[in-house]
Amino acid sequence: MRVTARIRPPGRTVELDDVTTVAALLRALDLRPQTVLVLRDGMLVIESEPLRDGDEVEVRHAISGGAR
Amino acid sequence: MTPPATPDSQAGARRPHARCGRCLAPAVINIRRHNTAFCQACFLHTVRQQVERTIHRHRMLEPGQRVLVAVSGGKDSLALWELLLRLGYQADGLYLALGIGGYSQRSQAASQAFADAHGARLVVHDLADEHGFTIAQAAARTRVGGGRRAQKAAGRSPCGTCGLSKRYVFNDAARQHGYEVVATGHNLDDEAAVLFGNMLRWDTAAMARQYPVLEATHPGLVKKIKPLYRIAERETAAYCVLAGIDYVVEECPLVAGNTQMRYKDMLNELEERSPSAKHDLLFGFVERGAPALRAARADRAELVECGSCGAVTQRPEDDTMTPVCAFCRARARLLQLPLLTT
Repeated sequence: MRVTARIRPPGRTVELDDVTTVAALLRALDLRPQTVLVLRDGMLVIESEPLRDGDEVEVRHAISGGAR
Repeated sequence: MTPPATPDSQAGARRPHARCGRCLAPAVINIRRHNTAFCQACFLHTVRQQVERTIHRHRMLEPGQRVLVAVSGGKDSLALWELLLRLGYQADGLYLALGIGGYSQRSQAASQAFADAHGARLVVHDLADEHGFTIAQAAARTRVGGGRRAQKAAGRSPCGTCGLSKRYVFNDAARQHGYEVVATGHNLDDEAAVLFGNMLRWDTAAMARQYPVLEATHPGLVKKIKPLYRIAERETAAYCVLAGIDYVVEECPLVAGNTQMRYKDMLNELEERSPSAKHDLLFGFVERGAPALRAARADRAELVECGSCGAVTQRPEDDTMTPVCAFCRARARLLQLPLLTT
């Protein structure tokens, strides 16, 4: 399975294989769950949310300066 | 309610909640510092209730009072503006154009779009038009030639000049337009990082001045309030997403290397291991530390008028010197102008 994540800021897109939950996605991106928001279809999703093949999510840095 | 096990659950780790702690509907956000989760409706309700209680607890505003909200187009200030309007205050926005290229233009556009969508008034001030410099120029001056020598010549970091300019213009604009109160979107993370920095230096005078509400202690000052100080930064971002507030997601291009960001990073690392560490640090200070410092008169500065612009500033330690405010000194240094005093 493959999931596409758009990370904002800065707005780069990455594709990840075999991440089956939001928590796993954030671990793969080495991001702390309490410093980001994850959106799918414009709505927030929590860490235990399952991800499906072909999902496109936005990972939004929620702390100023957190993208650097 | 226990969330369903997933293949990614880590053995021994506390599992995030999958259901709203208030109504058991499917959750959209986990808040580890409260060890709970919320659905959209309950999260919005909880944030609104917390802000309303904060305003009442600290007597920040009278019912229906006029207030000028300092807005940047970012999540914190637009969330604050929406919350104050929703709570029934006559909240107008103040946008200060800082001259940071396309970033400033997009920030102003987001602030104006919010004002238009909510039928609210946005007052715009421009640093270059009114004071002859931009924050981009301040940054270039710090960085040309690079290193500590350039920074010393420029006097302040770009973020330092930006913060100083905002404080100066917010107070000045509020008085000019007849507002008694200025509200800023400082959140729990901002305030915890400032407190952490002050503690590293034991700057007790600065700590005594760090409080969610600062009364107007001089006729030249307006009251300053921070109604979001109990809301974490991630929560203000979530509030915007869930309330449909369109904010500028991009970062200020000049923020790299900012000291406060480094402190935030350190505190978030601590928070990861000890949820509620930031909250305990800040709320304990507000409830016990700040009152003790004020009682001990840790901030003894006497307020006088700047000999150059007339703004309120601290009396210099040397009585023979004409008082000149930090903004006039920074501006003169930046524009390489002599300081003109009356």
